[in-house]
Amino acid sequence: MTISNYYLPQGREVEIFKGAAANGLPVMIKGPTGCGKTRFVEYMAERLGRKVYTIACHDDLTASDLVGRHLIGAEGTFWQDGPLTRAVREGGICYLDEVVEARKDTTVVLHPLSDHRRILPVERTGELLHAHPDFMLVISYNPGYQNLMKGLKPSTRQRFVGLSFNYPDADREVLIVCQESGAEKNVAQQLVALGNDLRRMKDHDLEEAASTRLLIYTALMINSGLTAKEACSVCLVEPLTDDLATQQAIGRLIDVHF
Amino acid sequence: MEEFIGDLWHRVVTRQAQTDYPDAQVELAVLTPQLAPFYRAMGGSPGKVLEASQPRAFNTQRRLVQRIAGTHRRFSVSWQDERSVRLPPSLALFPERDINEDLYFWLTALAAKQSYLQHWFIDNLRASYELLAEKPGLKKTYNRLVSAVINQRELLTGSSGADQEGEMAIRQALRDPGCIQSLPRTKVGLLPVPLWLYPPPMQIVSIDSEDNLDECESGMATVSQIYGSRKEANRIDDSKETDGLLIFQLESLFSWTEQVELDRCQDEDDEDNLASAVEDLDIISLSRQRRAGAAKVKFDLDLPSVHNDELPVGDGIKLPEWNHQKSQLVKDFCLLQPMLADDAVPVAIPEHLNRTACHLKNRFAKLHLQRQWQYRQPYGEELDLDAWLDNETSPVCSQEEQPCFKARTANARELSCLLLADLSMSTDSALNADQRVIDVIRDTLLLFAEALSGSGDQFAIYGFSSVKNKQVRYNLLKNFSETYSDQARGRIIAIKPGFYTRMGAAIRQSTEILKQQKSQQRLLLIVSDGKPNDIDHYEGRYGIEDTRHAILDAKRQGIQPFCVTIDDKGNDYLPYLFGSQGYALVNDVSRLPTLLPKLYLNLVGLNS
Repeated sequence: MTISNYYLPQGREVEIFKGAAANGLPVMIKGPTGCGKTRFVEYMAERLGRKVYTIACHDDLTASDLVGRHLIGAEGTFWQDGPLTRAVREGGICYLDEVVEARKDTTVVLHPLSDHRRILPVERTGELLHAHPDFMLVISYNPGYQNLMKGLKPSTRQRFVGLSFNYPDADREVLIVCQESGAEKNVAQQLVALGNDLRRMKDHDLEEAASTRLLIYTALMINSGLTAKEACSVCLVEPLTDDLATQQAIGRLIDVHF
Repeated sequence: MEEFIGDLWHRVVTRQAQTDYPDAQVELAVLTPQLAPFYRAMGGSPGKVLEASQPRAFNTQRRLVQRIAGTHRRFSVSWQDERSVRLPPSLALFPERDINEDLYFWLTALAAKQSYLQHWFIDNLRASYELLAEKPGLKKTYNRLVSAVINQRELLTGSSGADQEGEMAIRQALRDPGCIQSLPRTKVGLLPVPLWLYPPPMQIVSIDSEDNLDECESGMATVSQIYGSRKEANRIDDSKETDGLLIFQLESLFSWTEQVELDRCQDEDDEDNLASAVEDLDIISLSRQRRAGAAKVKFDLDLPSVHNDELPVGDGIKLPEWNHQKSQLVKDFCLLQPMLADDAVPVAIPEHLNRTACHLKNRFAKLHLQRQWQYRQPYGEELDLDAWLDNETSPVCSQEEQPCFKARTANARELSCLLLADLSMSTDSALNADQRVIDVIRDTLLLFAEALSGSGDQFAIYGFSSVKNKQVRYNLLKNFSETYSDQARGRIIAIKPGFYTRMGAAIRQSTEILKQQKSQQRLLLIVSDGKPNDIDHYEGRYGIEDTRHAILDAKRQGIQPFCVTIDDKGNDYLPYLFGSQGYALVNDVSRLPTLLPKLYLNLVGLNS
């Protein structure tokens, strides 16, 4: 079987995920933005031969957005399964991206699915769904933001197997940037070195570190004909900060690398 | 006339000897906002600051005109120690401005690369070599700098000289930092190399001459600040019997740099003279004998006189305190005295904060206007189809009319925030040459108030300090019911550091105030610079346990406490007090004023 999604493991996350899948346990993935959480889930789904139902969470997300709702059709009203219900029925990975963005009362729907019961009561239709053996629940979030109003309830957290992600080490990151963008190795090496320099500025000068995703974007832009400096300016400086002095400092840093 | 001619001669000869390019001068102070992030990104320690270095004397071979003019004897070179990186206060070595700028960035990169210096020549070469190998983009800049430096050295030293060999070795080393391994011995010192870092100035072995009169620490009545670069300092043994007596022998007058007997602590009035003396001195020797003049003794334990103090409001509030040894809450143990600075003058926002305040206010004002859909409304702009469908398909269908509209309304956040600031004596400590911790806290409170007044969120600001359990001072700066005005701003500006940190009582009182607010969410934000402590038994475990008890109690009452601290040892006790998610440690204190509003947005979930 060929896998179309490229993923380079950083540790034993593949084995852990497989173990959780085999035991029907839900998984929680923590990590900074752009470090490969979503890619990992897609890759694992492909390896396990399961479909992924991705839900990008936001604070207006209601339980019926997950479970389903009645809609009006030509024949009158009919019931439409939500992505969670579909995954529960058909078997697949239900992936809730940035789950802390959803309100806490919404995530409570997940409770009966994420413990030994593995059931989903659908109140509207009066159904009690038992999860398909291939159903798996995966949530992800970025623990970097301190937020009192948002966050997972301890009772929700305690139902998951936790995986913590971070940006890959330099050698791996070079491989990833080359693979994803088709950039030459020396360009990728300089980009990764620049990315690691920028990561040192986190907390002091930058709110968030330069992600692997941003480095890949930069490499792609260099491939399509921009000079390295231009590409870095549009893909790294602008997305990372609005502060003029910090922008100028990053500009100097780019000059040092290219 | 004599003076006039002398002055003229000085100017003419100095201009003749001058080799700098004042038109291309670059100031360190202007570039620091760029250099500091650059330094950190290049791997420099985030705790170090960038400061201006002092000129130091070099025994170099000078040309006649330079000797006559008395120039080129002292040079500002770059160096670093555990605390800071010192760069020349300004650079005008080269005729082009951007080369001078490049030199600053090169020196910063080198300082980040080379954390210690064992052998000046070899370590600089090695660091330069490694830096150029790691950062290929630097090569171009480096080559440009090297050719400019070599040009300048040719100009300064000429092509002939006693130490051609050493000079040539340096030039060769600059051109190719990878090749030379040692520097030939020279009789006369070589010109300093502006591209390299130098070791910290020689320190005289310190002699312990400190005595234990710690109480007089802030004895000076007025402190005049000498701005600009930091002076080199060393300690001398000043414990001899002949204090203050200058043995005056005409034939052996001490020169300024050798030793000047200034018994600073016992001087009474000549602050001005001292300030000018400080500017003239290269090295300042300090001895610690803190027997300050009687007029300047200030006991911080004493409370201010009634006339100078703020207005106490009421007779005080009795509050309990947790005694962890007995595991019981001792009733009415503390007396909290609300204070109001009634004589504070109403003021507008200070000049230096104006821009940031405007920016924050605008940003927060947008939140004020944020409108959100409200569902299941009895009337509204659009039909709420979901609500209608839900109602139609509900297993238990209600016959009554259901609210089936959605309306867009300005979202009034049900949020009250009380900001509690630590005003204890420890906030009086100096942060840098011209700021104390209290100044940063003051700016923080001001900006926070400006921001929140923009958003329309309910907020109050209080400060606290204490002297034992009977005098917990709780300063009202802005309460929930008053609108934020120049009056409140005046009170914030008037805050003064003093006394100790009995945090538990202040938190209990804040909890009481917040409880009276009817908002759904109530946030207690504490800004502090250290552990809870007081001069009685309220320190160490006792203080921490009492504070923790007060916080747990606040949480039980539905209040969310959050602590922002600048205490770098905060990681030891804060998780125990506030929980792992309940605090933030600010490393760079100067960023606290702008960080706090951001943190507030994160906390209330509006920054996504």
